[in-house]
Amino acid sequence: MSHPVTTNPLIIMLINMTVVFLVLTVLGLVINLIHIIDPTKPKAVKQEESAPAEPEAAPAVSAPATETAAVEEGISPEVIAVIAAAIASYGYGMEQVRAIRPIPRDAWKNSGRAQLAKR
Amino acid sequence: MELLNAFAVSLQSVWADSGFSAFTMGNGIMILVGLLLLYMAIVKEFEPLLLGPIAFGCVLANFPRTGFFTEPGLMQAIHYGIANEIFPPLIFLGIGAMTDFGPLLARPVTLLLGAAAQIGVFVALVGAMLLGFNVQEAGAIGIIGGADGPTAIYLSIQMAPHLLGAIAVAAYSYMSLVPLIQPPIMKLLTTQKEREVAMEQLRPVTKFERVCFPIVAAIVISLLLPPIASLLGCLMLGNLFRESGVMDRLSDTAQNSLCNIVTIFLATGTGMTMNADDFLVPQTLMIIGLGLVAFIAGTAGGVIFGKLMCRVSGWKINPLIGSAGVSAVPMAARVSQVVGMKAKPGNYLLMHAMGPNVAGVIGTAVAAGTMLAMLK
Repeated sequence: MSHPVTTNPLIIMLINMTVVFLVLTVLGLVINLIHIIDPTKPKAVKQEESAPAEPEAAPAVSAPATETAAVEEGISPEVIAVIAAAIASYGYGMEQVRAIRPIPRDAWKNSGRAQLAKR
Repeated sequence: MELLNAFAVSLQSVWADSGFSAFTMGNGIMILVGLLLLYMAIVKEFEPLLLGPIAFGCVLANFPRTGFFTEPGLMQAIHYGIANEIFPPLIFLGIGAMTDFGPLLARPVTLLLGAAAQIGVFVALVGAMLLGFNVQEAGAIGIIGGADGPTAIYLSIQMAPHLLGAIAVAAYSYMSLVPLIQPPIMKLLTTQKEREVAMEQLRPVTKFERVCFPIVAAIVISLLLPPIASLLGCLMLGNLFRESGVMDRLSDTAQNSLCNIVTIFLATGTGMTMNADDFLVPQTLMIIGLGLVAFIAGTAGGVIFGKLMCRVSGWKINPLIGSAGVSAVPMAARVSQVVGMKAKPGNYLLMHAMGPNVAGVIGTAVAAGTMLAMLK
């Protein structure tokens, strides 16, 4: 612990910030490189990259829609989004959901009211 | 008569060997400081898992004649683990196993926010040198601005071991105060329109990317900055446990049992460096003041760079996520979320802020490595 390169605080700041930015930029390039060489990238991404302006792409996009889950009327898109997020947090996708339909139970409603009442 | 004499001599001997005979005013003050920290940990719940053992270690350190650091035993073993940089990398192993690098991999440009927030480290370094600290001490004090406890301890041990107690307490105290320190600075530096910027959903990250990243990052950073190879290496190893999908038992141990055990040793040992002789000096107050400056400057640096990225990206990046670049995972990201939600209810910034947040952890380690290479 005896030979610092410099003791000028402004030079230390300048050099160190430059190094931090450079190293993290290199790391960013590495992340982009991993993404580019990734052989497991979803095919949809490849389609977009190869033909981003093709008007025929529309029917191709609508094809998977036939596989999406059946949703009963009266369920808002927000509720579907929350359910989708909860399922995704467990590592599953929406394509694995057959249907979303409300069950006539008041337990969640009552639990929510009880929590609000406690506040 | 002989019996009375023997009794008196025994009593004198017990008194002479007791801690009371060597107890100083400084010890008393430090025990009170320890009790105050315990109050903050238990009653106010300021980082209780860290501040609790630190505070109790502080109380223990101020009992005279315990021989904690001179005689073989548990306390000497704990001190050995701190003095020889064993515990901080082990904590990083646990942090790696707990960290999801997904948001960073999905939007690598947020690495720059993690870099920008490190300005706090060097503003505090400049301030410390202006106040008369030598360059190594200033570097160790500056790292408080990284808001990363293990890195602060790692650097302090190597550059200014006599300041370890004050630096660790300042770092962990300010980390627990992030929700109070950051919001006013974030609001001051941003306009309502900037705070309302909604960010696009992050792209999905594949398992290939998640597995490759810790391996490649460990190789690249360790080759660039060998002084922090153990710190970053353990972070990435822990993350590999998590992401590989075939080392679940190791991941579970690293993020729970091991991390908890090492936290007990690291925090208690850090508290035990707070003896009266080293802590009750004017420098301690300066360090606590400089720590606050470092946090404010780091937050401001991240937000200002966020504003720049907001303009460059065509209003696609909310500047509020810049403040999360000061590490303090995940509290700083939560602050971005809360401030963003107040500006525009329904604007969820948490996932976006996790990118700069984990970038900040890497950035602080890189800053520490650069200082070790330059200043040690």
